[in-house]
This record gives sequence, structure tokens and C-alpha cells, in this order.
Amino acid sequence: MAAALFLDAEPWVDWSWVSTHVPTVLGDLGQHVELTVISLAAGVVIALPLGVAAYRWTGLRLPTLGLFGAFYTIPSIALFALLIPYTGLTTATALIPLIGYNVLILVRNVIVGLDEVPRDVLDAADGMGYRPLARLLQVELPLALPAILAGVRVATVSTIGIVTITAVIGFGGLGALILQGLIESFHTPLVVGALMGVLVANFADVGLAAGQRWLLPWARSE
Amino acid sequence: MSFLEQVWRWFGDAQHWQGTDGVPTRLAEHLHLSAESVFIGALIALPIGIALGHYGRFGNLAINVSNTGRAVPSFGLLVIAFQVFGLGDGPIIIALTALAIPPMVTNSYVALREVDPDVKEAARGMGYRELAQLLRVELPLSVPLIMAGIRTSAVQVVATATLAALIAGGGFGRYIVDGLATQDYTKLFAGAVLVALLALATELSLSAAERALVPRGIRLQRAPTKRRATAFKTA
Amino acid sequence: MKRIHASRWLLAGIAALALVAAACGSTGPSTSSNKGNITVAGFNFAESSILAELYAQALEHDGYTVTRKLRLGTREVVGPAIKSGQIDLYPGYAATDLEFYNSGAGEASGDVNATVQKLNIRLQSLGIEALNPSAAVDQNAFAVTKATAQKYNLTKLSDLAAVGNQLVLGAGPECPTRPFCLPGLEKTYGIHFKDFKALDTDGPATRAAFANGTIQVGLVFSSDSDLNKLGLVVLQDDKHLENADNVVPIIRTKVATDEVKSVLNKISAALDTKTLVTLNGQVELNHQDADAVARAFLQQHNYFA
Repeated sequence: MAAALFLDAEPWVDWSWVSTHVPTVLGDLGQHVELTVISLAAGVVIALPLGVAAYRWTGLRLPTLGLFGAFYTIPSIALFALLIPYTGLTTATALIPLIGYNVLILVRNVIVGLDEVPRDVLDAADGMGYRPLARLLQVELPLALPAILAGVRVATVSTIGIVTITAVIGFGGLGALILQGLIESFHTPLVVGALMGVLVANFADVGLAAGQRWLLPWARSE
Repeated sequence: MSFLEQVWRWFGDAQHWQGTDGVPTRLAEHLHLSAESVFIGALIALPIGIALGHYGRFGNLAINVSNTGRAVPSFGLLVIAFQVFGLGDGPIIIALTALAIPPMVTNSYVALREVDPDVKEAARGMGYRELAQLLRVELPLSVPLIMAGIRTSAVQVVATATLAALIAGGGFGRYIVDGLATQDYTKLFAGAVLVALLALATELSLSAAERALVPRGIRLQRAPTKRRATAFKTA
Repeated sequence: MKRIHASRWLLAGIAALALVAAACGSTGPSTSSNKGNITVAGFNFAESSILAELYAQALEHDGYTVTRKLRLGTREVVGPAIKSGQIDLYPGYAATDLEFYNSGAGEASGDVNATVQKLNIRLQSLGIEALNPSAAVDQNAFAVTKATAQKYNLTKLSDLAAVGNQLVLGAGPECPTRPFCLPGLEKTYGIHFKDFKALDTDGPATRAAFANGTIQVGLVFSSDSDLNKLGLVVLQDDKHLENADNVVPIIRTKVATDEVKSVLNKISAALDTKTLVTLNGQVELNHQDADAVARAFLQQHNYFA
């Protein structure tokens, strides 16, 4: 029955292939996670100050969101390909679009999170003598964290999916398994790659949600 | 001639606007793939989300399944659809529909759940039967969030439809994939611009539709729906 | 409240830093004795992966550190990559490569030595060279289904001139610009197809398109192992549009030391078309890995002795 699901009646998964290719799959998984983690970390590092600035100086919001928003609408495969003549077949080519996409998601969430801090809390903090920077770091950002972490979760799942596309320009990651499955008309690496992608994304999402509850037990998780 | 000038010239070349590889043809293909997927996805997702939200049952299951759906790499899904169903538009639409469903289920479920219980209570008190309550009270109140879900889905599908070109599909993705294969970066960039413009047009037109559909009374009294990371990139 | 959870934040911060450090650090330098680094690339079809693996493994065994970029794409992607030094070596095909680097000037012929000679003239100014050609040949070939061949009585390409306008051609998107593909069919054979579908040269999309009738004529590779199984028959190239497409390593002169050259030439000498078809079959039909197939071949021929 499962065999009939594919046009050529080959089984979904050839388990002998799986058992002999564990190192390959783990290697691809490692590359995949590497790209995801680095692009997220860089995205956070860029988005936090940018988001705070856009929150403070509302005049910055439109240009910031507009610039990164425009970038966001460009399909990733086009961006990867367009960067090759400039940054070559290096990790930078893969990372630049990924980081750009993450910055948009995170900046939006930083702004919304900061916007949502109740006015009376800010007044109370001012009344207690908090200077602006201290108020930002010790009151506003912590209260904005649920929104920011929600953004990190969305960015993570989204990035894991887009990293698969880097395989089309010669990168590894789980997308390489999918591409191999396509080119060689071979189901197993395709299924393994796609399934691992789902599992990693879900694992990351659940893990981040749990981490959020652990760090911010008083906040309602999104 | 700078690269951007070359791209400008590309759009100005009349030949690029006719024939099987012309912009109108590719636009029609891209719209066909996207619109059908979102439409069929809505037919499946909205009833499910609305019903679950109305009855308040299995919500967490629905949302978890939806989130799992979001986690499927779109490239992988398209290739699987190709290997299961073969060449053509059908398999592509099947894969894109699967991608379109999660945001619409989640949003319609949450929308129905967020309807003020007092309002529902009042409706019951006024004598509304269950179906009438749903149709004439709950749904109108849920329209903004449901439309936001449809909008998210649509923009996502338009962007992901570009990947269809990797499995011989049509649409603007063809300019990107063919441009890469022949190192014609002008064509590639033109394709990227066209997809971005189409995604933007989709977002704007569905926003306008949302404004038109939300009953005036609700629009006036309701605060704008929180735009929390509504966009989700799958391609 | 913050103080109580400070320890959790500290832990979380350390964990995050460790994760990023691990991610950044996982591509460290190799510590084995290293004669040099070479990046080997392959086109996006199985045979190229096999050939690239043959080169890569032989070089690795000889002490070089090899980075692989398999399934990189078409020659239109691989060519610029080697020109700009992003890759060092790929398994080329003499005639097609010549016509790529001379922008379709029509210099290639059926004489492999003359073709490789002209290729080297073209490559010299780019800092690239072609090594010894192999006896193994993989040419572009145009195939039709057995049913189509019977219906229109087709055995050779010239037979298509009369019926071309009723048929759809499927090939990779690079076909309309390659002299051996669409332009060549029109010029040399006078064939004008009803339509052209951009698929993938000899890939899964082309095969699927044959199967559901989207195309009637398709571009395949002559060294494919599964044409028969798919019910396809290759039309004879009676006017010799396709030329000497012998497998030949294309390598950047900077990394082409005498030792590297001798390793690669030894592999080329051991290959012939029949072997290539057999190796392809192991990957295409038996779903073995390109690198496993390559390793078995090298072991058989005592490269690792």
C-alpha cells in the first residue's frame, strides 16, 4: 500500500540506505543547524538595536520596515543566486538573505513588544527614578520579551525551511538530500531530508517555547 | 550599462511580453497556481478552523498540526508531490494547498475563540439558534483575523510558487530558475522583481478586501488586530 | 523577581553562546598532512557526481584535501565558478566545453585530440587547462518514445525535419542557447519544433514529461543506463551535430601540479564508455551512492593499493 503511493512503486524508505548513510545525514543535519543558528544569532544582534531605535524614533519605522520588508518579498532562491557573482559559493551567500529575513521578523516583533508595554508601567518606572537607558534595559525590554521570543520562534521555523533551498546553489544541509532524491529519482533521501526538516523545526519550536516558559514563567506564552 | 539599466531594458523589450515565456503568460500561470491553492486551501481550512473555534474543541491539536504543517520545508514538499503525482500543475497545487492551510486554520480558530463570550451569551439570550449565532454574530466578528490568515497564506503561496519551476512548473519562478541555469542574471533579477511585486499586490488587494468585508460597526469599535509576525516565509 | 531568575538567564546565555560557538567552529581546518586544497565540482546529474567522486577520492588518497561541490548545476554555473576560482576542477566533456568557452564558434569536431587541443587554446588565457581526454564518451542525444518512433517512422534525426512542427521538445533551460541543442537542430537539420519545454536535461522532469506525453522528443545523455527501461529510443545523429564529447578533467592551472595531473590522467585512461554506462547503472538503477560506486571502481583498479 505504501509502495503504491509513489508513481514507480518503489518503497518510501529504503532502510538499508538509511542505516548505511547515518553519517551523511547527520553531517547534512549539522550543516543545516549551523546555518540556522548563525543566521538567527546575527539576526537578533542586528534586530534588537534596530528595533529599539525604530521604537524610540518613530520616523525610523517606515524606512527600516520598508527596506527589510522589500527584501523579505524577494524569493530566497533569487537572492542566493544573485549574490553568487559577488560573494561566491561561500557561506556568506547563504547567510546574507537568511539574516535579512530574520531581521525583518524580529524588528517587527521588537517594536510591537515595546509598544505593548503599558503606559502606567513606564510612568511608574519614571516615577521610581529610572533613567531612560536603565528603564529600557530593566523594564521595557524584559516586558517585551514574550513578543520578541515569539518572533524568534517564527524566525527559527521559517529559517529551517529556507535553508533547504540553499542546496540548489550547491550547499549542503537537508536540502542536499532532497535535491539528490529529485535528481536521482530516489525516494529515500528525499523523504529523510524532508522529514528531518519537519522534526528539527518542530523540535526547535517546542524547545524555544519551553525555554521561554522557563525564563519568563510569569509571562503568558504566545 | 549598469545592471539595473539592463533589467530596465529587459522589461522594455517587447519580446519579453509575448509568447509562452512572456510576462503575461507567466503571470497567468503564477496566478493560476497561487489562486487555486489558496482557494482550495480555504475551502478545507476555514470550515475546520471555524468549527473547532466555535465548539472550542481540539483546538490545541489543530494548532499543533498546523504548526507542524508550517515546519515542512516547501522545497521538500514540492519534490515529494512531484514524485508521488508526477509532472504538471496538479501536484504543484496539491503541495501549495498543503502549505496554505496552516495559517488559515490557526487564524480562524483563534478568531472564533476570541469572540467575547458575553456577545455569544447575548445572542443566545436574544433567541439565536446555533447556526444563526455562528453565521450572524460570530463570523462577522471574526472576519478581520480570518482575512489576515487568508492574506498570510496567499502571500506565502505566491512566494513559494516560484519553487515550482524547480519541478518544471511555470510562473515567474521560471525566469529565476532558467536565469540561473543560463547565467542570465538580468532575467533572474526581473523574475525576482516580478514575484516581489505580485506578493505586494496580493497583500494590498487582500487588505483592501478585508477592509471592505469587515462590518462597519466592528471596524469602528475594534482596535486594530495586533500584527504580530503575521508573515511567514517558506521560500 | 529578576534576581530569582538571574541564574536561569545566565544558564540560557551560556547555552546560546555555546551553540553559536559550536556552529561557527564546526568547520575547522583538517589536521592531516596536506599537499594542498582542491575543490571539485560536478554537474547536476548522476554521471557527473560519479566522475567528480573518482577524481576527489583519488586525490584524497594521494594526500590532497578535497572539498566537494556536487550537483552544482549546469555548465553555465560551473563555468563561471571555475573562471573565478571558486572551484578548481570538474569533469568536462571535450566538444561541449570547447563550444562553451569559445561562445559557440563551431570549432569542435569528431576528432577528440584536435578538439582538446583547441579547447586548451581557449582555456589558456583563463588560467585553466584540459588534461588527457578519456575514451569514455557521453554525448547529447535526442530520444523519442518507441511509440513516437513507430508512429512517424523515426530512426535518425533528419527524419524529424518533416514532422518537427507537430512535436514538443523537452530539455534543460540552457538548450535554446547551446549550439548543439536547439540552434543546431534548426541549422543543421532544419527541424522546427512546435514548442520547447524547459525541463531538466535527462533528469526526472524530462522522464516524467515523456511518460505523460508533455513532450515527444527529449534531450538525454548517450551514456544513460536506463533509456531502454523507460521505453526510449535514441535517434541517430546522422549529420554529426554532436561531436567528440569525451570525458576530460578541466582544471585550474594553479592547482594542476604534475602529481595531480598524473592522478587524474590515470583515471581517464581507465575509463571507457561501457564502464561509464555500467557505473551510471549502479547509481541510476540500483540507487547506490555515487561515492560508493566511485570507491568500488577505484578499489577494483587498485588505486588504493
